[in-house]
Amino acid sequence: MKRELRRLEADAAAAIRAAGDLDALEQARVRFLGRKEGVLSGLLRGLGRLPPEARPEAGAEANRVKAALAGALDQRAAELAAAAGPARAREFDLSLPPRRRWRGSVHPVSRAVDDIWAIFRSLGFVRVRGPEAETEWYNFVALNTPLDHPAADEQDTLYLAPGLLLRSHTSPVQIRTLQKHAPPVRVIAPGMAYRRDTYDATHTPAFAQIEGLVVDEGVTFVDFKATLAEFARRFWGPDTQVRFRPSFFPFTEPSAEVDVKRVVTREDGSREETGWIEIMGAGMVDPAVLENVGCDPERYTGWAFGMGPARVAMLRHGVRDIRLFFENDMRFLRQFA
Amino acid sequence: MNVSWRWLQELVPGLDLSSGEAAERLAMRGAPVERAVDLAAGLEDVVVGKVLSVRPHPNADRLTLCRVAGPGGEVSVVCGAPNVQADAFYPFAPVGAALPGGFKIGRRRIRGERSEGMLCSEQELGLGGDHEGVMLLGRADAPLVAGAAFAEAAGLDDVRMDVEVTPNRGDLLSHVGVARELHPEGHAGVVLPDLPGMDGAVRGGDALPGRTDGGLSDGADPGREAWSAWPGASGMPLLRYSADPGAPPPDAPLDVRIEDPALCSRYVAVLIRGVTVGPSPAWLANRLRAVGTRPVNNVVDATNYVMLEMGQPLHAFDLARLAGPAVAVGPARAGESIATLDGKRRDLTPDVLTIRDASGPVAVAGVMGGRDSEVSAETTAVVLECALFDPKSVRAGRRALAMSTEASCRFERGVDPAAATRAAGRAAQLICAVAGGDAAGPALDACPTPWTAPVVSLRPARAAQVLGVEFAPDRIAGLLGPLGYEVRPGRRPAASLGEHEDRAGAAGDADGKEASLAGHDVLEVRVPGHRAHDTLREADLIEELARAHGYDAFPSELGPCRPGAVPGDPRFELEDALRAALAAEGLSEAHTPALGPEEDGDVAVLNPTSAAEGFLRRDCLSGLLRRTELNMSRGVRDVRLFEIGTAFAPAGEGARPAESARVAAALAGAREPGHWSRPPEPFDVYDAARLLEIVARAAYPGGRVAEAVAQDGGGDASPGPDPGLEAPGASLFEPGRIYELASAAGEIVGRAGEIAAGRWDLPPWAGVLIGAEAVLPERPARRAEATARDLPNQPASQRDVAFMAPPGTSAGRVLEAARAGGGRLVEQAEVFDVYEGDDLPPGARSVAVRLRFRARGRTLTDAEVDRAFERAVARAKEETGVEPRS
Repeated sequence: MKRELRRLEADAAAAIRAAGDLDALEQARVRFLGRKEGVLSGLLRGLGRLPPEARPEAGAEANRVKAALAGALDQRAAELAAAAGPARAREFDLSLPPRRRWRGSVHPVSRAVDDIWAIFRSLGFVRVRGPEAETEWYNFVALNTPLDHPAADEQDTLYLAPGLLLRSHTSPVQIRTLQKHAPPVRVIAPGMAYRRDTYDATHTPAFAQIEGLVVDEGVTFVDFKATLAEFARRFWGPDTQVRFRPSFFPFTEPSAEVDVKRVVTREDGSREETGWIEIMGAGMVDPAVLENVGCDPERYTGWAFGMGPARVAMLRHGVRDIRLFFENDMRFLRQFA
Repeated sequence: MNVSWRWLQELVPGLDLSSGEAAERLAMRGAPVERAVDLAAGLEDVVVGKVLSVRPHPNADRLTLCRVAGPGGEVSVVCGAPNVQADAFYPFAPVGAALPGGFKIGRRRIRGERSEGMLCSEQELGLGGDHEGVMLLGRADAPLVAGAAFAEAAGLDDVRMDVEVTPNRGDLLSHVGVARELHPEGHAGVVLPDLPGMDGAVRGGDALPGRTDGGLSDGADPGREAWSAWPGASGMPLLRYSADPGAPPPDAPLDVRIEDPALCSRYVAVLIRGVTVGPSPAWLANRLRAVGTRPVNNVVDATNYVMLEMGQPLHAFDLARLAGPAVAVGPARAGESIATLDGKRRDLTPDVLTIRDASGPVAVAGVMGGRDSEVSAETTAVVLECALFDPKSVRAGRRALAMSTEASCRFERGVDPAAATRAAGRAAQLICAVAGGDAAGPALDACPTPWTAPVVSLRPARAAQVLGVEFAPDRIAGLLGPLGYEVRPGRRPAASLGEHEDRAGAAGDADGKEASLAGHDVLEVRVPGHRAHDTLREADLIEELARAHGYDAFPSELGPCRPGAVPGDPRFELEDALRAALAAEGLSEAHTPALGPEEDGDVAVLNPTSAAEGFLRRDCLSGLLRRTELNMSRGVRDVRLFEIGTAFAPAGEGARPAESARVAAALAGAREPGHWSRPPEPFDVYDAARLLEIVARAAYPGGRVAEAVAQDGGGDASPGPDPGLEAPGASLFEPGRIYELASAAGEIVGRAGEIAAGRWDLPPWAGVLIGAEAVLPERPARRAEATARDLPNQPASQRDVAFMAPPGTSAGRVLEAARAGGGRLVEQAEVFDVYEGDDLPPGARSVAVRLRFRARGRTLTDAEVDRAFERAVARAKEETGVEPRS
């Protein structure tokens, strides 16, 4: 038995070496190692006729031969494949560009909105929305902005019909939210707003805005300052200085502009402090606004803000012309992939 | 509002600030300086030149040869300005000087004549757009020295600060108003100084309140007191006029009638005789130039000066050109028109308040004077108008005329009613100082509704509730006092002036007042005239308190807060998910404005800036296709854009248009970035289905994407019983290349496909455009959580079959029929190959279908699988007319 196995090994090895192509190699495999007709299978079927004490040794030898031949087969197959020339050989040149898929991108203004939202979310806010086509009442009157006051001119408005307009800010969402829900209110409202502006480097007739509103008992100017300063530091970095300047909005009193002074790290690693940059308008909700929605201003106080995520995105990415955000040149958008 | 730093310094003597520090302080007081311009910047080399003689250039018609006395003696200069004259001073740039903008003056020869320097125009000095010639600094008698520094001589050694004024702060539209914010003592620290020529020369000038009580602090009834203290004593009789048109005219050449006292609460007219109209003295002209106002003549400049100083708009009429004895204030009559000072003839409507004489309107009240009564070189007597017009009326008038002026801007925001007579006096005095004349004639004060200071209640407890910091009553008085407010104890929430005055009398001296404030839970605050238009409520005073305290002085500590009770809008999360999914698919998010041309929308904007943005879009896809067009016009071939935005549909006359949230996408070019291993493969219509599937997955659980059912003529989707998606219309797409997304309820909510050729202007290399758009549900359904199933532990069996499908056969139907025919044992059915070739009849295809069979809990026998497979083949054959290929 052992001798037969040795002869089989020698014959098979010779046949494998002799195989000139993969077909011949396969024939050799079937002839010697095939499960049904193969020579090795035939020999193994005779294993049962051996005396029991000889069987383990013969079995072990058969397995060794089988493994050796399998190795020889693989090696020869590889040799044949290599010899078959470059067309079939997978010679991998890892210096070639890898396979790639298109990388998509989220619009830089959306990213600014998302990042702003992430911070306010952690401060206990939820997102709400309102319609973009509004009535004068929601856009102006309820927000304590009489139409015959110059404050209404600050926002040159696009009208759809008498009394019907495209909201000039997201502030009408304040009114709609307070009409529907009693305090405590803690919301932000990202959305589009419209003004009768012609396109230039800092204006577009449609623009993104984020409104924020907090109304509850015991909400004060101190909370207002603290929350927005916290936001500014989280958004712009812990070294950011924040200042509140008096300003005017018909629907807040006191009103403020919020400025930040950032520490910017340049590409060469140097750090540089910017000047004061205005990032939002804000203030304590005017009691007249609360009265307009049937909310008792003696009991509730609140604060609100509005900011432009496009401006934030411009500052963040060094975009000098806001029109790029609406042009949607793929070469621009893909920079934010 | 342009503010001159030097002017401010004169109003606030002893102010120890640099202009930069002043700008910083103003910013923190709510009046940020947007821009500060050093007026002398770039003018260092320019000097005062005196032209001694002018003679024609021998070789040029339009040039002259001037002898100019400058810093280094006399030189010869060739000048092209038509207005150059001998014996006058002009700005002169000698050889070697650099002008703003970097232009350097060299020694030149012009048409054969030497020119050693240049006489300059305002434009060349960067001072404005005066093209008419060189800038005249003064005649021979002017106190100027040839060779002196020009900037100083022209009053340009100054900083022009552009102060941003919010609409509530009309008081800041004056130097006095800005000065009040700068002085540590506020209001009380501001003084109106004597102006050159005022002292002694003007009759009655000594009695001006501006000189006697240090400027601006109000008495109990400042307007009236100031007026009676003013020139009245010396030859300037004060005539108080009633609004009653029937009252007899006074014994004076001028009468004033106010038709509607609600529109004009006071009209002061001062008659000044014997004026000589001419150019203003240099100090006045320079001062106006420093704030960007063009000098006109001495009378007009004086009125402008006082307006810029005190905020009170003034107007001067030529008495000789007013018809009739009366000046009336009243609305324009229908059909009237007026030629205004800017040379335009304007048609008037009864919305427009006018100043009228016997012949009709002579000025648009509070907006602009009329050309026909304008002060000119021939004028010898002027009527100086100083009036208080109703802000809303001025606003309505100037809007009706579509104009805005320095005067209207101030009236709309509110002019200090307590300072009107003082402004009239100062202007009269200044006119006399710069134009000569005699203001001793009768002055009229028509004051049908005398102003009384409003009194507003302020509760310290309320201030603490809003501001989060307690302010004691004395502290409140200390903060509001410098702003001009008077704080007194009070008990009732509101009080009339009469009551207030009673108590004011009782309050006595300052010490007594301070002592009486402590412990009061209501304070009464008397509002000064300059804030009478914007601080009329407790909330306004609380803001003033915070402003005076300094916003930065408040602590900034996060306190406890309750979470809100408002539920978040779930569509935001859906949009987040879609944004992430589409970006992961390799698309770039676009933002396009919702405004577009008429073909893109059905809701018109009434007042668009351009026709290209005159409508609200009906879908988002059109905008993306426009951006695809733009990209391709720039040579960008691979375009993959998506947008999440709003589309608008009309909802009937005067109603808010219906808004729907949309997601849209446009694809063009290669599906994957170019790679050496294979040729690029362009997007095709099958990618459109993929886009809808992404939307379905995020927004419509249970939704189905399927080939659109063909419609007659390929027109827009007919508004059926449930027009879930009216736009984009099917006409955007190539017929037969459209997919639809149906919600679980069967409503069509999205469409995608190959974009119809023709409408878009694309380069020849542009291939197929793929577009998709879907409506997002108002209330997205919550996605059901997946329930895990055990993995199969029995083997599956697989059978393949290729069908010969005749032309027009839908492969999808073949697959579905086969799946249905195979019954419950079919685990998966797929088309794995579609083939067209020469061995098939023309138009026919080979559709290869693979079925995988498996049963749960047992191993299928070959016979079972064979039977199920045969049923599948038979069903496909029967339902779709295909034949299995052998």
